Amino acid sequence: MMSTSSRAFVDDLALSHLDAAYNLGRWLLGSEQDAADAVHDAYVRAARSSETYAGGNARAWWLAIVRNCCLARLALRNKEKRNVAIDDNPVAAEHWMPRAEADEIEERLDSSRRRQMITVHLRNLPEHFREVLILREIEELSYREIADVLQTPIGTVMSRLARGRALLQKALTDNGTMEIPHGL
Amino acid sequence: MDCKAASELLPLYFDGELDRATGREFEAHLDECADCRAALIELDALRHTLRKDAPRFSAPDALRARIEKEAAAAASHQAPRTQRPWLAMAASWVLAFVAGGATLAAWNHGTSPADGQSQLTRDLFASHWRALAATSPIDVVSTDQHTVKPWFAGKIATAPVVEDFATEGYALIGGRIDYAGSERIPVLVYRHGKHVIDVFVLPTTMGTGAPESIQMQGYVLEAATLGGQPAAIVSDMDQAELARFRNLLSTSK
Ligand SMILES: [Zn+2]
Repeated sequence: MMSTSSRAFVDDLALSHLDAAYNLGRWLLGSEQDAADAVHDAYVRAARSSETYAGGNARAWWLAIVRNCCLARLALRNKEKRNVAIDDNPVAAEHWMPRAEADEIEERLDSSRRRQMITVHLRNLPEHFREVLILREIEELSYREIADVLQTPIGTVMSRLARGRALLQKALTDNGTMEIPHGL
Repeated sequence: MDCKAASELLPLYFDGELDRATGREFEAHLDECADCRAALIELDALRHTLRKDAPRFSAPDALRARIEKEAAAAASHQAPRTQRPWLAMAASWVLAFVAGGATLAAWNHGTSPADGQSQLTRDLFASHWRALAATSPIDVVSTDQHTVKPWFAGKIATAPVVEDFATEGYALIGGRIDYAGSERIPVLVYRHGKHVIDVFVLPTTMGTGAPESIQMQGYVLEAATLGGQPAAIVSDMDQAELARFRNLLSTSK
């Protein structure tokens, strides 16, 4: 796997999974700039420790480093409590929309509004549930890969995924963003 | 399969994580159970919504360009580095290493005066973890100390003091030879309950480099002496067990 140079291996790895890394960063950090910086941090770290990479799922290894860099940034952000620019800012008022209006809204939701709603609801999920949903539903990682990224047992992945799905499902049906599916 | 069992398997089926036989059993239940079918459809609707309305963010061109540039720069002036196969560690350990922010700082600064010590610490943890991940952490299996000690003779300059503490609850299970830096050093392997204990017998020159005590991912490395020689213990025992074992070692002659 690391025939010529372990550094070249990391370069290829980072570049071929750059969208996945950035997507994860965006969902964890919310900000375009922060996500890009976190991915860059991750690349530097991965390159520095390239010689010690010794097999296993490479994509999970890379995403785990990305995630750790994101969490480090989050921790720093919380510590500094400074104002951080968050793009496509969650629209809090819309999230707390009275239920009575839900039906009407459902009819009027155009696709950009739907997107905004999903974004808001995903953002509002606790980080642990959000990341597992992104990794499974959008990045399509297996349970094993997710466990490697989060450095947790598979059982934890399964329970977070179940809980995250349930929370999101409830939030979406409660305000009518998601239609209740009809049976087979 | 009853509905309770089926509903627990439902996400696994949905995510393609069930083995085929169980998958078939689950499908048989699905044919008869409207509730489970409805739950499955809900999961699918959620996935559909997420993929359609929470689209994936693509990396900005500026970020890609930045990384491509650094990669190219590294490739152009990279001298071939010497690979140290004995440092090849389980990927999971590398993750832990890369993840541990604070420990990373202490371990990773090549210019600090404690560099020799950091490298030694790193080597010893790596050796322990690699041994645990291997089929067997030992090269020679102990029937007693008299099989282990002669095994080292001829393979390394000085065979270590080897003593069995089985009666004290620390059974000698064998030995192996490993590396610290470029030195071949003897490792005595003990077992205490479910804990595997590695005792690295260090050259006198290296002994001063061993830190008093360092913790890493639930494992502890502690400096010790064995028959007057410096040594380091690595295990996941708790502090009290470790202290007891260290005392035993120091009494061996
Ligand atoms: Zn059922």
